[in-house]
Amino acid sequence: MELIFKLNGEEVRLSQVPGEESLLTLLRERLGLTGTKEGCGVGECGACSVLLDGKVVNSCLTAAWQAAGREVTTIEGLAGDEDLHPVQRAFVEAGAVQCGFCTPGMILAAKSLLDQNPDPDEEVIKNALAGNLCRCTGYHDIIRAVRRAGKLLRGETS
Amino acid sequence: MSQNSEEKRQVKTLERERLDLGRLVKVGEAGLRIVGDSVRRTDDVLKATGKLKYAADYPQEGFLHGKILRSPYPHALIRSIDVSKARELPGVVCALTGGDVPGRNGFGAILPDQPVICQDKVRYIGDGVALVAAESERIAQKALELIRVEYEELPAVFDPRDALAEGAPKIHETGNQISLDKLRKGDVEAGFAQADVILERTYQVPFLEHAYMEPDCCWAIPQPDGTMMVEGPMQAPFAVRRNVAPVLGVPINMVRARQIHMGGGFGGKEDSPIDLCCRAAVLAKHTGRPVRISLEREEVTLQTCKRHPMIMELKVGVTKDGKLTAFKSTVYDEQGAYASLGPKIPPAGGSHVHAMVMSPGPYEIENCWVDAYLCYTNHPYGGAMRGFGAPQVHIAHEQMMDELAAELGMDPVDIRRKNAFKLGSKTATSQVLDQSVGLRETLDACEERFGWSQRSDSAGWVDAAKTKRRGVGVAMGWYRTSIGTGGDACGANVHVHEDGSVILYSGITEMGQGAFTVLPQICAEALGVELEDVRLVKPDTDLVPESGPTVGSRSTTLMGNAIILACRQVRESLDQKAAEMLGVEPERLVFCGRKVFDRDNPDGKALEFRQVAAAAMASGMRLIGQGWWAPPKASLDPETGQGSPYFVYTYSTHMAEVEVDVQTGEVTVTDYVAAFDVGKAINPKALEGQIEGGVAMGLGYALMEKVVLENGMPQNMSLQNYLIPTMLDMPDLKPLVLEQTNQHGPYGAKGIGEMPNIPATPAVINAVANACGGRVRSLPANPEAVFWAIRELGGPPQD
Repeated sequence: MELIFKLNGEEVRLSQVPGEESLLTLLRERLGLTGTKEGCGVGECGACSVLLDGKVVNSCLTAAWQAAGREVTTIEGLAGDEDLHPVQRAFVEAGAVQCGFCTPGMILAAKSLLDQNPDPDEEVIKNALAGNLCRCTGYHDIIRAVRRAGKLLRGETS
Repeated sequence: MSQNSEEKRQVKTLERERLDLGRLVKVGEAGLRIVGDSVRRTDDVLKATGKLKYAADYPQEGFLHGKILRSPYPHALIRSIDVSKARELPGVVCALTGGDVPGRNGFGAILPDQPVICQDKVRYIGDGVALVAAESERIAQKALELIRVEYEELPAVFDPRDALAEGAPKIHETGNQISLDKLRKGDVEAGFAQADVILERTYQVPFLEHAYMEPDCCWAIPQPDGTMMVEGPMQAPFAVRRNVAPVLGVPINMVRARQIHMGGGFGGKEDSPIDLCCRAAVLAKHTGRPVRISLEREEVTLQTCKRHPMIMELKVGVTKDGKLTAFKSTVYDEQGAYASLGPKIPPAGGSHVHAMVMSPGPYEIENCWVDAYLCYTNHPYGGAMRGFGAPQVHIAHEQMMDELAAELGMDPVDIRRKNAFKLGSKTATSQVLDQSVGLRETLDACEERFGWSQRSDSAGWVDAAKTKRRGVGVAMGWYRTSIGTGGDACGANVHVHEDGSVILYSGITEMGQGAFTVLPQICAEALGVELEDVRLVKPDTDLVPESGPTVGSRSTTLMGNAIILACRQVRESLDQKAAEMLGVEPERLVFCGRKVFDRDNPDGKALEFRQVAAAAMASGMRLIGQGWWAPPKASLDPETGQGSPYFVYTYSTHMAEVEVDVQTGEVTVTDYVAAFDVGKAINPKALEGQIEGGVAMGLGYALMEKVVLENGMPQNMSLQNYLIPTMLDMPDLKPLVLEQTNQHGPYGAKGIGEMPNIPATPAVINAVANACGGRVRSLPANPEAVFWAIRELGGPPQD
């Protein structure tokens, strides 16, 4: 059986994907999209966050077959060739990136939040992103980045 | 979050102190363009787009996969090992035991006491007894299951005090006590005689996991010329090379170590890459093929170093007006199974001696007495973790300061102000602090911004139903820049090209702290070019000069000075050539923003930097500079612990507000201010990032983090049960940055990487005690511990 899904806007067809293969393994090892990271393998750190039909999921706990017929967005699908996505830009501008290992997952979680709630307050941001761990930043600048991204997306700042 | 988050980017430069110290790297302070600017990091676009490759992201074609068979016993003799079945499994290329190590069967950051493959005994659960290399990780894992090991269990020791007892099972041939280090200043008994109040308290801290987000992954690739190349996320490529070479039985120049960008280190990736690279290199040597060892999160917990646990017995005397008269402490510093970074490198290197030196705190105390034991146990081993022994002792002395204040009926801020270091103070090692001492200024700044007096007055019940109490806590701290060893030096090479572009060669590694941005900033400033003109060559022991490890909050200061010296060498050529071209004396030249002009005639003729570089090159002048900088000599008497162990210190004061649920013991940190004297902020934004991250880690230490061990076995090996702070745990945090120039630092800078982590833990613990009366002296202050601390008092205060 073929596994067919949309990845970063393009259709992907794969054969012989074992039932137990995680979406993370499929992305990283089969498709070479290493922007999605593995930090713990048990769905606790959020480094492997990707978007499945726009909602954030831990790809280490998601079976590859759960993507069948759906749309997957990874960090590689966010930026254009020239420009950063506003959420990426906000992370860079707010100094929300240190070692960077949690950053792709954090950015996708933030995008998912902002897509559903364009102007979240601090408590909403904290609750939405609490499943993404960061050991470097203390989160302060990440929260700033999400607010800044919201402003960029709403066109309130440039 | 602060409503005025932009406001926090205010750096306050304090009044310049005097001083006529030798060996200064003097630089023009006026007109800094790039230093002091929060330029954007050089690598964060790559990180935000997922393009930056971490070790696990590199292609694995052609690699064998290494796995380690680990001991299930904390202490046992190895009677026999049979790897024959593993070798027969298809896909297995080799299975090795202790006798197969080609050179020295031992590695370690300081002492090579940890076997690459244990041959006769194991000393902790996680010790490696056999190595396998196979065509896939799955086959390698399967092969491990086919190895038969016969062990004879030995009695194990899990408490440092038991390890020191007579007749305790001997973990290493050299005995369980690695060292007893002593600090003796004045007459401690006379000091107690002058005291009006004497308190004795014992404080205890557990093993902590670094919990860097990126699990370890290293590999070794044999090169055609016989060189072994090892790569991975590593804080100390030179220490890796220094270990891999003897393990392979080859000279140092036959090993090449290259850093791959780290997904966090916090001290842990000083040790673990030594372990992984030695093991991968042995497998690569045997197979002649590239071998990769990648650890799962649980393996990281099982195998790699942790923060040292300590038991600290304090006795401190104080007069009724709050002056400290005597400090006495016995420290049991648990090293675990292997020496790692614990033991002393004379005069003052190693985490243990550092802990001893810092243990009386940043206070003037005439009489100090410390006995600090470092000993082996059958637990995992302690290594470097953000603060290197200092966080532990700060947790003791900062709680003691509050307990003394309470006894005296004094404000915790007042007792600290009474005793805090100032310019000219003598430390517990009798070092005279003759420059860059901004500790009191951090207390003043913190007190004002936090609103200490109003907030401490309003501590107490939060709600009418009396379920929650609010409290405030303060803690001060100090931390060295440098590592206090004889060999603490940094080298840098700077190459200027005829088009004005520059290459900077540095062995300082990037783990997220921003070195790859801050070091080029210093280089660009020193040459008078733009930041984008400087390309940094990443740490590679074949290319960059020895620079020591990226630890000890030393990188910016030591490497910064080396870079300035390297730039100065190139500038000699450029100065000479530009002086000819402009017809002015070289002393009058200014290099700034890619222009070269006469200081006394700034509007006159200006040369382009690249013009001068091209002309100098065409005349055969040297455009390659090498800088080498070692800090002023460290000293520490081995008998009395007296001397000047570290050449400069960073200072800090933290204030925290917490709410404690008195029914559940749950603590919420509601507000936080932390002030620092950093010498000079080279990149204020990156520096604030260090503050925010360090405080978060200190808050985790205070409230939730602990590696739970049962009979030597970690019980919480994953991030599901080893809890670190999430976004929901973090309070609003306001960093305050003060600059009290370090006369030995590049542009006045001193270290910042570790300082923010250190006072954070006791500030939170003190706030908890202030809120609910209960004091947790054995960390963490998790809900259970706080609950019982309140019950011990017979309930929360009723006022």
